Amino acid sequence: MYKIRYRKNFDPLLIILPLAICVIGLFFLYSASRGMQELKGMDFMSRQAAWILVGLLLLVLTINVDFRRILDWSYLYYFVIVLVLAALLAFGGSKMGARRWLNLGWIVFQPSEFSKLALILALAFYLGNNRFSARGLKTYIGAFLITGILFMLIVGEPDLGSAIALLPVLFAILLAAEAPFKFIFGSILLGAAASPMFWNFLKDYQKRRLLVFLNPDMDPLGAGYTIIQSKIAIGSGGLFGRGWMSGTQNQLNFLPERHTDFIFSVVGEEWGFMGSILVIGLFCLLIARILAVGERTNDFYGRLVVAGVAGLISFQAIVNIAMTAGFMPVVGLPLPFISYGGSSLITTWLCIALVINIDMRRTIF
Amino acid sequence: MRLRFIKNITVFFFIALALLLAYIQCIQSPRYTELSRNNRIRLIPLPAPRGNVYDRNGKVLATSTLAFDCSVIPQEFESDKDKMIKLSSLLGLGRERIEDVIEKGSGAPFMASVLKKDIGKESAIAISEAILDFPGLIISTYPVRYYPYGNTCSHVLGHLGKISGEEIGVLKNYGYKTVDLVGRGGIELYYNNYLRGEDGGRQTEVDARGRQLDVLGIREPERGRDITLTIDIELERYIDSLLEGHRGAVAVMESSSGEMLALVSKPDFDPNIFVAADGTGAIRSLMRRRDYPLVNRAISGAYPPGSVFKIVTATAALEMEKINKKERLDCAGFYMLGNRRFNCWKKSGHGTQEITDGIKNSCNVFFYQIGRRAGVDGISQYALTYGFGAATGMDLPYEAAGIVPDKAWKRRRKKESWYEGDTVNYAIGQGYLLVTPAQLLRMANAVGTEGELFVPSLVKKISDVDIFAPEKKHTGISEDTFKIIKEGMRKAVEERGGTASGARVDGMDIAGKTGTAETGIERKTHAWFAGFSPVEKPKISLVIFLEYGGKGGAHPCSMASDIFKKLRGIGYL
Repeated sequence: MYKIRYRKNFDPLLIILPLAICVIGLFFLYSASRGMQELKGMDFMSRQAAWILVGLLLLVLTINVDFRRILDWSYLYYFVIVLVLAALLAFGGSKMGARRWLNLGWIVFQPSEFSKLALILALAFYLGNNRFSARGLKTYIGAFLITGILFMLIVGEPDLGSAIALLPVLFAILLAAEAPFKFIFGSILLGAAASPMFWNFLKDYQKRRLLVFLNPDMDPLGAGYTIIQSKIAIGSGGLFGRGWMSGTQNQLNFLPERHTDFIFSVVGEEWGFMGSILVIGLFCLLIARILAVGERTNDFYGRLVVAGVAGLISFQAIVNIAMTAGFMPVVGLPLPFISYGGSSLITTWLCIALVINIDMRRTIF
Repeated sequence: MRLRFIKNITVFFFIALALLLAYIQCIQSPRYTELSRNNRIRLIPLPAPRGNVYDRNGKVLATSTLAFDCSVIPQEFESDKDKMIKLSSLLGLGRERIEDVIEKGSGAPFMASVLKKDIGKESAIAISEAILDFPGLIISTYPVRYYPYGNTCSHVLGHLGKISGEEIGVLKNYGYKTVDLVGRGGIELYYNNYLRGEDGGRQTEVDARGRQLDVLGIREPERGRDITLTIDIELERYIDSLLEGHRGAVAVMESSSGEMLALVSKPDFDPNIFVAADGTGAIRSLMRRRDYPLVNRAISGAYPPGSVFKIVTATAALEMEKINKKERLDCAGFYMLGNRRFNCWKKSGHGTQEITDGIKNSCNVFFYQIGRRAGVDGISQYALTYGFGAATGMDLPYEAAGIVPDKAWKRRRKKESWYEGDTVNYAIGQGYLLVTPAQLLRMANAVGTEGELFVPSLVKKISDVDIFAPEKKHTGISEDTFKIIKEGMRKAVEERGGTASGARVDGMDIAGKTGTAETGIERKTHAWFAGFSPVEKPKISLVIFLEYGGKGGAHPCSMASDIFKKLRGIGYL
């Protein structure tokens, strides 16, 4: 059991904000799933609520353990995730033509979500151990390697979105580890220069998604359809929205995937600009509070973990919203706490749990 | 501090996002609201036409014509009782059926649901005139595959069929949809990826009457690529008429290149029924027929070749120096192997012959003897050299490889050892041996060209690109052997008494070999002819196979003669 001293160091906003976002998410899931009930026969809202409770439970359990002890096993988690991803590539059955899910009977489990958490821990541990040589090129490259292995395994599934989400984690932690700016800018430039090469490795439909983003009119019945419909939904929300459960675009089944990746279009349509600002504001505040933990703590490892969590959550939120509004190409990234999906929810709650854990164990001296 | 840097970047992006959202949610909002409020968005797929297939002279063998569908957009459809009655009579559909389609289509209310396919031009015009009374009703045009020559060339062309569940699972990411038609059999299947175009689509804004206001997005369909075959349709049609009433296959090849000038298999079918709106009944009965009209016998049927195979036996014996040009062997009408008697087809025997006469007369006894000298493994070795036992590599699907038996094969398959009697049968092309007409054609051509084994080819061009490049392999058999065999084959046609003399044409110079293969069914034999012309530097090789067609010297030879005359008539010879 932990000492009373720890409890005092707790920032309640770190639980309230995610919970608020979750609850908002539940409202919109309910609205979105109403039209889908007949088609899917699943009660999205209750399942999501159940997962939220599981997440909270895990949070309570893990904050009993000193995060430093958790970090000690980082390489083990990393290794396990690598094995699971490799097994998925080799044996995974295919759903929608992609091997992203492992079907374990009554739950479907998405390993690429958990790999994000594993990466945060692994990178924090690695760069924390090599603290003073973090300025060295060798350590820098080591960090890239750790990320790169996961990246390749995930891209092979194929799951471009989750793979890309690993990058902000990498860069956020490197930044916090005081890697020289010139390395960071250098690698970004290198990446930008090399990106035409990656074009050839994309599958045709992924290429199509990128092209369609540049010109959604190019494929109005396929990938472009979702973007155009989503934009219409959000745009028609106006300032105050059309009211909960009254979004015609989503009620009338124009938006596929509106309970997962495109859930924000329901927010935009039903609560309008006010709703958008509310969600964005809550995320912004959450990120600020997370980063504040990093500033308060004097544990170097903790600071790295905080940076990774902040990078992950903000990247996913920004990209997801930008995608639904048509400002970015469609990649499969969930909106944290709001998109339907057990793996994403659990992972994000565990991230929050880590941050609270770090905050609680900071020393005043 | 570093973390502050991260915070600043993040906040920057969030603010940028908020501003962008402000733009579309506040400033652009009226436009989007209008779009969604009236729910006036239509999704219209624009199907891509499939590529055409032409014969070598540019005649159209497969193309697309326009057909009309009547569809309804459930979101826009409004009607009352009188209108429904009128619509029902215009379409020839019951009211419940119309309502049923609309209800089922409500899952995707902006997509058109088909009420009736292929309604014919008059119907389409009649409905178009009344269309303003029926908001939500549309006439859409789509391409339908059309084969102007009907049954002729059907096996080469193949036909189309709906894509299956397993195929869609694999092909979905490449743009195939559940309603797509893909090639089944023939060129339609083999070159499906080239023939197939890419579908497009249009998302439009329409007003309350269904008239188009604004195109929100359009993707033009991309036509498939055209394919030009090596086939000459006039020749194909002629052979088709010759084979009328028979079952079997004929294949004609250009000797110097391996290009197929004609490939006919009977019975055949009309590929148009597979794309007709009401064709299901006809298709089903086609598939149930016991004479298997969908099988391309030229490449997928494996049969005993009978005496035509003696060419291989002769090659083996000559190459292995078990016989030469001069040696004479005796035929008294029968041959004794131990106490088993093998007959020659001529009861009174042929007397003494050297090898070219042996070929001319197709003397069984002669070949029993030299076959035994060469031995089963010797014969099999040369059979493989001639390309038997493997697919020819023609660009058609479902090619059979046939069977070239040898000692090891028999032990594996029949769990028995090879007997001398098997060799004896083998030498005259009976027994376990199975070949396809295409393989025999290749063999005949190899003899004619004195050693070149071609990959038969059906396609000259894709779009405007010449893709044809003759692919051949040298058999390694000596020139002398070929000269001897050719002489035998020439005699068979040109000299009196030759088994293939029915194929003779005045003024032409033809070499050939007949075959009459026992099938195990009393008095029902397969009839074969394989030959080429001119004898010295052949331009054309052909093979004729008649399933249960009687004697090789009868129908196949007279058909060969007719075909050679026709070839001369249209300028190939």
